[in-house]
Amino acid sequence: MSVSPEGVELVTVLVDLPFRDGYVRSIISVSLYVSGVAVALSTLFSVPVALVLGFTDFRGKQLVKSVINTGMGFPSVVVGLVVLFAVSNQGPLGALDLVFTKEAMIVSQFVLATPPITAISLAAVSSVGDDVRDAARALGGTRLDVALVVIKEARYGIATAILAGFGRAISEVGSVLIVGGNITSASGVSKTRTLTTAIQLEARQGQYDTALVLGAVLVALVLAVNAVVVRFGDAGAMNR
Amino acid sequence: MIRLSGVSHAYGDESVVRDLSLSVEPGEVLAIIGPSGVGKTTLLRMLSLFVHPDAGRVAVDGESAWDVDADRRLALRREIGMVFQAASLFDATVARNVEYGLRVRRSWDDRLRDALGSLVGTAPTPDAVERSLDVVGLGDKLDQRARSLSGGEAQRVSFARALAYDPTYLLLDEPTSDLDPRNTGAIEDAVLEARDRGIGVVVATHDMHQAERVADRVGVLLGDGLTEVGPAERIFESPTDERTRKFIAGELVY
Repeated sequence: MSVSPEGVELVTVLVDLPFRDGYVRSIISVSLYVSGVAVALSTLFSVPVALVLGFTDFRGKQLVKSVINTGMGFPSVVVGLVVLFAVSNQGPLGALDLVFTKEAMIVSQFVLATPPITAISLAAVSSVGDDVRDAARALGGTRLDVALVVIKEARYGIATAILAGFGRAISEVGSVLIVGGNITSASGVSKTRTLTTAIQLEARQGQYDTALVLGAVLVALVLAVNAVVVRFGDAGAMNR
Repeated sequence: MIRLSGVSHAYGDESVVRDLSLSVEPGEVLAIIGPSGVGKTTLLRMLSLFVHPDAGRVAVDGESAWDVDADRRLALRREIGMVFQAASLFDATVARNVEYGLRVRRSWDDRLRDALGSLVGTAPTPDAVERSLDVVGLGDKLDQRARSLSGGEAQRVSFARALAYDPTYLLLDEPTSDLDPRNTGAIEDAVLEARDRGIGVVVATHDMHQAERVADRVGVLLGDGLTEVGPAERIFESPTDERTRKFIAGELVY
């Protein structure tokens, strides 16, 4: 495989960065860690919620759905602000000492990723027919078995939901800046600096080449995620 | 024996089944015939313990199903297979579909091992899966995706799926209403084979000829309940009830 001239230039830019070794790599790993953990936790929360919303009736169900739909468009800086208050010394989570930590960023990204993951999962599980659930029960399935069948039938939709949530989390700036603080250690390795907050900082400081490299990495990650979404969608369509 | 004693059920204000009594024994085919909308499906859903009757008693092998706890009821339900009018297959291979009833009866340990095994492709297909697919004549479709089957084949797989775990009773709701004669024949042959294995089969159908072909006993369900239950030959040749006679002669049109 030959390396294109552009590729060589990109490598040169990476090598010539005015930072210590591992700066870009540490930023990428902080971004992936924070968004990955937040999305994983959010999925564990959202899918059962979607199942309950999809298949049970209770008072206030419409209200919960409205809250989720509102949450999809909720301004991320406000989420960041609320999480910052929550984890600050006077806040309800103050004892955990989470201000300017990755964990605080995970909390705020969890809050941001949950509405889209829940809403898209809900649409997916709702599209599984009553007849398929009846069949699972008729064949001797317990309620848990029926829920597993629904998840399995809705797997492409749920995968889309997870990846959409990941896309929202990883390209988000406002809340991670507020609760994480965009911090690096003295040796120049990222502590709470993510791709987005680093781009914002580098661009403001005139380090456009670094900002561009980080931007390219972020776009590549998001494209990769979208490519997976499209593939899942195709696989789903092919099996129908 | 599954026995319904004086059961009634209503959806909202609309009473569908009123004070109905009926039973089915292992090793016989009971056909429930009647026009659409008289409660055949509701009747089957009560027999299969899907629907809790508003009044009356449902007993499976002498045990009153709605007076025992949920675990016991699940065990009773697992003696009963049900095939719906729509095939309702899962989005998986034919083999995985037919295996489903066996799978939910295994321990979670086994199921986890099976799931891991299927990821690396080492999970064997149980013999019962192949045997019940052979009954409906689809033994060669094991690895095909369920979604790629024709409507008739899907319905036959749905039948095999309910047969695989060897239920004591098998309930079929209009199993052939959308099928061509060849697929209908395959299902009817499978019904008779299930009966010969000692399974008690209940077929709800609006097709009287089908009832004549497969049934040992027939129950006629008209607008206001079961007008007559008895041996198939007698019902078709000399019904005692006037409405039954008209229905069978095709004069009673709904």
